[in-house]
Amino acid sequence: MDYAIECINLTHYYGKKLVYENLNFQVPEGTILGLLGKNGSGKTTTINILNGFLQPRSGRCLIYGEDSQRLSPANKARIGFLIEGHIQYSFMDIHQIEKFYSGFYPKWDREPYWELMSKLKVTPHQKISSMSCGQRSQVALGLILAQDPDLLILDDFSMGLDPGYRRLFIDYLRAYAKARHKTIFTTSHIVQDMERLIDDVLIMDYNRVLTQRPVEEFMREFKQFSFELEDEKAEIPQDGFVTNLERVKDKVELYTYQSEEFVRGYLHEKGIAVREFRQVEMGLEDAFIGLTGKY
Amino acid sequence: MLIRSMIFKEWVKVRWFLLLYTLLAVLAVAYIFIRVRHDITFHEANNYWYFILFQGHSWFRLLRYIPLAGGLVLAVAQYFPETVNKRIKLTFHLPVEENRSLLMMMQFGTLCLLACFLLLFLLLCGLSRVWFPTEIIFSAVVSVTPWFLAGFAAYYLAALIILEPVWLRRILYLLVAAAFVPLYLTGSVPGGYGPAILALFLLTCLLSVALLFSGYRFRKGEM
Repeated sequence: MDYAIECINLTHYYGKKLVYENLNFQVPEGTILGLLGKNGSGKTTTINILNGFLQPRSGRCLIYGEDSQRLSPANKARIGFLIEGHIQYSFMDIHQIEKFYSGFYPKWDREPYWELMSKLKVTPHQKISSMSCGQRSQVALGLILAQDPDLLILDDFSMGLDPGYRRLFIDYLRAYAKARHKTIFTTSHIVQDMERLIDDVLIMDYNRVLTQRPVEEFMREFKQFSFELEDEKAEIPQDGFVTNLERVKDKVELYTYQSEEFVRGYLHEKGIAVREFRQVEMGLEDAFIGLTGKY
Repeated sequence: MLIRSMIFKEWVKVRWFLLLYTLLAVLAVAYIFIRVRHDITFHEANNYWYFILFQGHSWFRLLRYIPLAGGLVLAVAQYFPETVNKRIKLTFHLPVEENRSLLMMMQFGTLCLLACFLLLFLLLCGLSRVWFPTEIIFSAVVSVTPWFLAGFAAYYLAALIILEPVWLRRILYLLVAAAFVPLYLTGSVPGGYGPAILALFLLTCLLSVALLFSGYRFRKGEM
């Protein structure tokens, strides 16, 4: 399998604070991978290392086989990069910025850019700095599409966008990526957005990777069971199969990769009497919280 | 194509600042000669020349800080927008070697300053010929050359400071720059800087690449 991104034994600290140690992951070509994690778990650190804006303490990331710290101009032309907050050269207007970028990319295709711009209600020489966050997101997306990169790295694309623009962004992006066999590596703090976009999910917690797998497989295998304890004081041993357990008095939410039969049998075996036992349908956001915990 | 694009971006950033600065600087040069004309009219030419030749009267002293201000204005207009929201990431992500991008930006700024300073210099020399003999003009040229070099030095040092990602280091660089730039500006005797001009020129050339260090530190993730 060919990988667009391959990170090997990545270790990074900020001062003495460990961000992660020996992080390994790959992004196969043509897939859309969502990197999820709580604030401070290392998402932006990973994006910065991938873009060569941060040197890891040890380990390395390869993008199309080149060390991300020393990407050649030809390789950089294959990567579209969306900075958190849709940052662009906001002192330019939409004509100036298109003219500027078109000089750098041999595959520049202005059509998708102007198609998106035609949907914006902006004047031709309105500065990007005076546009709304949603409009700026469309400018940033249009520029990336015109660049026609093979790999898109999107840092928190949903930041500052209202639901309509988020949906527009996601639907446009997914259709584009699938039609042209593009690879996307993305983060977003709004996890429910990811469900419509990504093929694979990589969930990080402080210092470690909790899971990396196809999102469908994750949603199928990771489960939430909800029940009430007959005896409010009963203790539930946190054995290996319990990924996370959230408890408020007698109400319990148990997250696991095991089946309903297994969990019922386990509770029965431990003599823990329960009522209202049921499996709860989860969205990706529920599953993310279930896996990483609320705190 | 990419050089044209790079020039275009830099021009969009600096054009109004550069034009406004050039206009004000030209007005300042014009004011110098209004004063010269006034002084010659009231003191007579032979007395006025005497003040200049034997009493060290510096008739062009208004010009002293004008190139310095130009260097600072251009550096802020050109590099500050790159630091807002860490936009320099966009520049480093362009399919161009990162140091080359920074050097292109610096060369653009240098050429803008050079064009502007050349205009001021030619205006100064050209109008001087109306009022002064060659000896006075030559000593004025020797005196103002370090001031123009100060403009370039201020531009290069300001680029280093603005692009530096850590505030504490910015302050440190600022203190060093504040101690260093007056080297170009201390002498007030006409022609007094003659022996030092070559050394100041070489020093200024060395400063021109200082911004690469801030760029390197940004890319290593210093914050």
